[in-house]
Amino acid sequence: MKIEIQNLTKKFGAFAALKSISLDVASGELLALLGPSGCGKTTLLRILAGLEFADSGAIRFDGDDATSQSVRARKVGFVFQHYALFRHMTVFENIAFGLRVRPRKLRPSRQAIHDKVQELLNLVKLEEMAARYPTQLSGGQRQRVALARALAVEPRVLLLDEPFGALDAKVRQELRRWLRRLHDEIHITSVFVTHDQEEALEVADRVVVMNAGRIEQIGTSDAVYNQPATPFVYHFLGQVNLFHGRVEGDKLNVGGMLIDKPDGVQDEAETATIYVRPHMLEIDPRPNQHQHFRATIKHINAAGPQVKVELITAWGAPIQVDLSQERFRVLALKKETEVFVSPREIRVFAE
Amino acid sequence: MALLLKKRSVLPGFGLTLGFTLLYLSLIVLIPLAGTFLKTASLSWTQFWETITAPRALASYRLSFGASFIAALLNSIFGLVVAWVLVRYQFPGKRLIDAMVDLPFALPTAVAGIAFTAVYSSQGWIGKLLEPLGLQVAFTPLGITLVLTFIGLPFVVRTVQPVLEDIEPELEEAAATLGAPRWRTFRRVIFPTIWPALVTGFAMAFARAVGEYGSVIFIAGNMPMRTEITPLLIITKLEQYDYAGATALAVVMLVVSFALLLLINLLQEWSSRFHKVN
Amino acid sequence: MLNQATVQRRGRAIAAQVKTEPAAVRWLLIAAALGFMALFVLLPLAVVFVSAFEKGMGVYLASIREPDALAAIQLTLLTAALAVPLNLIFGVIAAWAIAKFEFKGKNVLITLIDLPFSVSPVVSGLIYVLIFGLHGWFGSWLNEHDIKIIFAVPGIVLATIFVTFPFVARELIPLMQAQGNEEEEAALSLGASGWQTFIRVTLPNLKWGLLYGVILCNARAMGEFGAVSVVSGHIRGLTNTMTLHVEILYNEYNSAAAFAVASLLALLALVTLVAKSVVEWKTKQKSHVESSPSVQEEIA
Repeated sequence: MKIEIQNLTKKFGAFAALKSISLDVASGELLALLGPSGCGKTTLLRILAGLEFADSGAIRFDGDDATSQSVRARKVGFVFQHYALFRHMTVFENIAFGLRVRPRKLRPSRQAIHDKVQELLNLVKLEEMAARYPTQLSGGQRQRVALARALAVEPRVLLLDEPFGALDAKVRQELRRWLRRLHDEIHITSVFVTHDQEEALEVADRVVVMNAGRIEQIGTSDAVYNQPATPFVYHFLGQVNLFHGRVEGDKLNVGGMLIDKPDGVQDEAETATIYVRPHMLEIDPRPNQHQHFRATIKHINAAGPQVKVELITAWGAPIQVDLSQERFRVLALKKETEVFVSPREIRVFAE
Repeated sequence: MALLLKKRSVLPGFGLTLGFTLLYLSLIVLIPLAGTFLKTASLSWTQFWETITAPRALASYRLSFGASFIAALLNSIFGLVVAWVLVRYQFPGKRLIDAMVDLPFALPTAVAGIAFTAVYSSQGWIGKLLEPLGLQVAFTPLGITLVLTFIGLPFVVRTVQPVLEDIEPELEEAAATLGAPRWRTFRRVIFPTIWPALVTGFAMAFARAVGEYGSVIFIAGNMPMRTEITPLLIITKLEQYDYAGATALAVVMLVVSFALLLLINLLQEWSSRFHKVN
Repeated sequence: MLNQATVQRRGRAIAAQVKTEPAAVRWLLIAAALGFMALFVLLPLAVVFVSAFEKGMGVYLASIREPDALAAIQLTLLTAALAVPLNLIFGVIAAWAIAKFEFKGKNVLITLIDLPFSVSPVVSGLIYVLIFGLHGWFGSWLNEHDIKIIFAVPGIVLATIFVTFPFVARELIPLMQAQGNEEEEAALSLGASGWQTFIRVTLPNLKWGLLYGVILCNARAMGEFGAVSVVSGHIRGLTNTMTLHVEILYNEYNSAAAFAVASLLALLALVTLVAKSVVEWKTKQKSHVESSPSVQEEIA
């Protein structure tokens, strides 16, 4: 199902949780709402579910207005951050709940309910756990029960609020890959909320980066990571080095290094901020033909796939450079030595 | 996210349940209470004042408040000891004692009244021992104080106990590593933490004791001016069909109760704030 | 330089000092606590049962089987059977409104619900006399229509409802607040109606709190004396509850009979305490399971 969101706004007292949000979710897509806590992502998800109502704006499900529809009428599957499993019911009863509460006319037969629950238990790989109570399950298992319960009613859309937020790191990683595979199997339009960039980038077809009630950028994982639209996205997704430059004619002066003024900077601007990802910086023991500046190595962390080198620039700013292990071995870097740093790719935002 | 909690809920039934709550509350509690205040309007201000400041009434306040105060004080001391022992030490019968703390809540007051009278009357188990010493308990203010101590027993224990349980051992260990002797640790570290709960418990025990009737009338002897508590005076006036007089005294009691309720609410707020900081 | 053994010894001494007081102080405090409890709680309780059986089993049984005693027991049971369910229904409804929704004046409402606890029992009875008594607001109207509330069973039930009013509500409100709204929201999102959500999701989660409230409410309903005393009129065999019957017997110097009936009430108190402890133990156990580390993680 396709979801259209138009100009949604929502206030809690004086606090504006959503400021005119517009967004389309394509049918069968797996979309991530990514942002820091308090950015409005959960509010947006709850409004989509009908657990919360917007002050203004519209929501359309497949073209039909759903803005003021009740949660019951919307037929959405909602997976809560803390699972919200019915604690007095077994796994089986939890999954069967949505079918059992249907009006008599629409209620499947006992056998049909049983078959459906078994099918879902297979899908979430919890066949052995049907008779257990939620308290007897691990966090990851509870989350899968919550998912199966939401899927049992054959929702038009699946909404997940921080689905892996309460799990420990390893389980989290396994479960999100499993979710991706599951989505590839059943292709239900899904929106999930997360504050974990890795999770969003790894699982989602498209990522919506939110901040302070607004959408900063919508795009594929590749696009939001490699072409951040705003300084916020740069900061939020991955690490970034900041340099403050002074505008001098058609050049930018960054600590003595002159670079061509990029298009984004207006003529009248006096200063600009340059954003460079750590792996987009190159280290050389000697000056090279590229634009460069001097820095002193302060700390080297060689554990992991990339070597993280922390340096202090000649003008006293700390920066980080990520090198491949091979490159690091070739350079044979030592602490407290002076090197020449040159950026391969930069983004400039005017101040 | 504290802000999310202030949302309009999607759960149904708000109007219906709140409406019913207010209706039932009004019918059972608010309207009858308000009616009592209105009833005093049938008295002129001077009549009202004379009724509530009559010597017999004043004597009853002195007894009710004085005995309640001493009982609440006794409860503060022994309640603290009981709570401390229950939280900190292991000894045989601990769980039984813990359960028995709530007996005054569960035992009908009339039963408590006749039981205390039986224990402390001149032929009673303890009264028998005290009489040769010239100490009379039953039918004196002392007896009233004892039975009020029983009535208020759970309040101090049950407000102090959870606070004591929550004190982190690190707090005391830190004090000890800083060289504080045990007594000083108690006075400087533990006592300030439980103090608000202790005061709250005191106020609750006091409030309960002031209004108590059932347990007191058996042991009090009920002599006007000497061992007549205010609730009994109300009953006496009722039995003489002096509705206005009874109502006037009831209003005094209600005002005192409401003031105490307000005080207890403030104390609890203070206590919980203090509790969280620690 | 201190050798290691000295350091260890001193360390242990400090640790012991930190954790507890000197043994003498400890035993003194335990003795004080036990002495206080024995004097104020166990002794009066023991006296009830001893006095009840003072004149033998025959007198005891006769005192309980006597028609007035039976009528009193019946009235007490009837009163509790009316007051407890009414306050139970009220408690559940009030808790739903207060715990599940945000609205202004909520704290005032909670305080008002607690109000009956701080009103003297005598005043609790009096307020109904002022309304329904012969000289009360509706007194003459009720008299004309030959409806008796005061000095009759309805007055007793009303006064009992008043004094036991807050028990269930005040037990359920914090419980429901702690449980939050998520399970209900999940049920609604799965297509359940409001009523289905309440019956199938909310109510089962409340059962222990509900039971706890009912136990306390019942104990007070059966044991109330002051409020009932004001509205009852003390008509033997008609408007005497068990506690009032105890009073009458006691004032007639029929001590054995008074204590016999009182022993039933004391037994009720003991049963209440046991039931209360069981419920507390059950809920503690349940929350313990919920907070215990999860079962081994296993992911397909």
